[in-house]
Amino acid sequence: MAQLQLSSVTKEYTLGKTIVRALRGLDLEVAQGEIVAIMGPSGSGKSTLMHILGALDTPTDGAAHIEGADLATLKERQLALLRGRKVGFVFQTFNLSQTLSAQMNVELPMIFQGIRKTERSKRARELLEKVGLGDRIKHRPNELSGGEQQRVAIARALANDPEIILADEPTGNLDSESGEPILALLKTLSKQDGKTVILVTHDPEATAIADRVVKLRDGKVVEERQNA
Amino acid sequence: MLKDFFLLAARNITHRKLRSWLTVIGIFIGITAVVALISIGLGLDRTVKQEVAKVFGVDTFLITGENFFQQAHSGDEDEGYQIDPVLIETIEGVRVVAAVREETGFVIGQAQADGKTVQGFLPIVGLSPELINEFQSFTGELAAEPGGRLIEPGDTTAAVLGRTIAERLNAEVGSSIEIEGTAFEVIGVLAEQEEEGEAGGFARMEISPSREDIYIPFNTMTQLYGAPDNILITLVRTVEGVDVDEVAARVETLLNASGGSRVETVTYSDISDAIGTVTGTISAFLAGIAGISLLVGGVGVMNTMFTSVLERTREIGVMKAVGARNGQILSIFLFESGLMGLVGGVVGVLLGLGLSGVAGVVIRRAFDVNLAIVASPALIIITLLGSFALGAFAGLWPARRAAKLSVVDALRYE
Repeated sequence: MAQLQLSSVTKEYTLGKTIVRALRGLDLEVAQGEIVAIMGPSGSGKSTLMHILGALDTPTDGAAHIEGADLATLKERQLALLRGRKVGFVFQTFNLSQTLSAQMNVELPMIFQGIRKTERSKRARELLEKVGLGDRIKHRPNELSGGEQQRVAIARALANDPEIILADEPTGNLDSESGEPILALLKTLSKQDGKTVILVTHDPEATAIADRVVKLRDGKVVEERQNA
Repeated sequence: MLKDFFLLAARNITHRKLRSWLTVIGIFIGITAVVALISIGLGLDRTVKQEVAKVFGVDTFLITGENFFQQAHSGDEDEGYQIDPVLIETIEGVRVVAAVREETGFVIGQAQADGKTVQGFLPIVGLSPELINEFQSFTGELAAEPGGRLIEPGDTTAAVLGRTIAERLNAEVGSSIEIEGTAFEVIGVLAEQEEEGEAGGFARMEISPSREDIYIPFNTMTQLYGAPDNILITLVRTVEGVDVDEVAARVETLLNASGGSRVETVTYSDISDAIGTVTGTISAFLAGIAGISLLVGGVGVMNTMFTSVLERTREIGVMKAVGARNGQILSIFLFESGLMGLVGGVVGVLLGLGLSGVAGVVIRRAFDVNLAIVASPALIIITLLGSFALGAFAGLWPARRAAKLSVVDALRYE
């Protein structure tokens, strides 16, 4: 079985009184180490797809397997463990805690896994080093540029050494100059460290680093293209 | 891991200093009031008990008519009771017995220079000489005016007069007066006692010396009026080393079985218990009122926590997205609210102790009572734990709401 495998997944949720059918029988397989870019107009179900791939949400119908685990059979606590250990999130708006230093932001996911302080801070410093922020570990998010904040967020996503990185428009709030190193970093993670990277994006430059581009429309995959 | 949650919670609190402090104020006002009132209550309890202990010692008890306390409260006239003091002395463990009885007797004074005499019905108090020697803590420092003396064992037709009575009867030491037809020698005039001496006493209402009384030996009283059936109060001192309460119980049983009046014995521990009940009730009542302000403080914490959860909805979503379990989110928020409670508790305890100290000084100045304020370590510890618990409890509902947020909704929250 592929690392990520969705078969005929539907997801419906209610927004006020209307039922939104965000995914309508979506099939997708992603192999370990792959970079997949997901594109599509707004409302096509990209975010919902990401939520399911990241175990933030479960399908209404159909089967979703992450690393072989069937989401439908997992309890809330097990979903949390899956999110904490197997998946790293990178958000468009960074979503760093403003009250915490860069290092503490990176340590946060490790705290929830009960990792000891000494090990945590060592690893956090290494990861910040790795994303090129070795000299910024004590800075608060508001003392960092957008590109730097997103790199902190990537370091945070890597905290528990997950297999899968989910990046929701990681360069959406950045100019191309600061976006470029982010994309390069994501590519390295895949090619050097063997992480699977799923990328939701509108950015043609972002799709360029992908092995495969998947286009969504109305909650279904309408086009898949392998990049050369 | 809990330590990390604690630190995260602390950071959240310090991040919004003003609001946190305002919330903490709500808590510490209540805690201050509770701690101060309980400390004052404990001090009151200890002070009153110390005063009573000074009078009683550890080896003495009283015999009173039944329902002595009720009478004292209602102000009913004390009828007196009937016992045989000699019988009590035979009971095991009893060392000394001293009783006081009162009659109204027909008295004829010393003849004046012109041959006239003053006569009339006057209060006669019969008391055991032992009362004067053995129970000074009850009677105060009794003394006769120079030239006279007080009643001693062996005296029979001897009388000691209060100053006012002595003047009215035209009597001095050595004078002769007649009580119920029997001649008595005036052996002394009671010296004025200093008002409110050090041994200010509980039992003084019954046996405090008065300027208007005539004092004669208890046994003589028996000869004049017959067996004692109108005893006001009896004091019993026990042999050293015996259990006072046990002896008192024995005396009470025996007296009540002997067919005289129903009597009660009152030991130090009885009075101490009675005082404890009163001061305890007062303290609990006051602390209860102060507790209402704690409740208000708790609602303040709840309000702050709801605001905090709402503000940090997105952050909660992120924490959950990076692997936080519901229980962990719950812990962080409970720590946060508990910590606010605890800070309120620390400030409140300090202020409360300070306030009760000030109250002690004010009471000392205003009422001339040496009120010992008690800073009970148990009270402090319980208050600190309680304030953390109060905060955590107030935060329970908001924290549960935070923990149960759906990740997707929380992440979408703007």
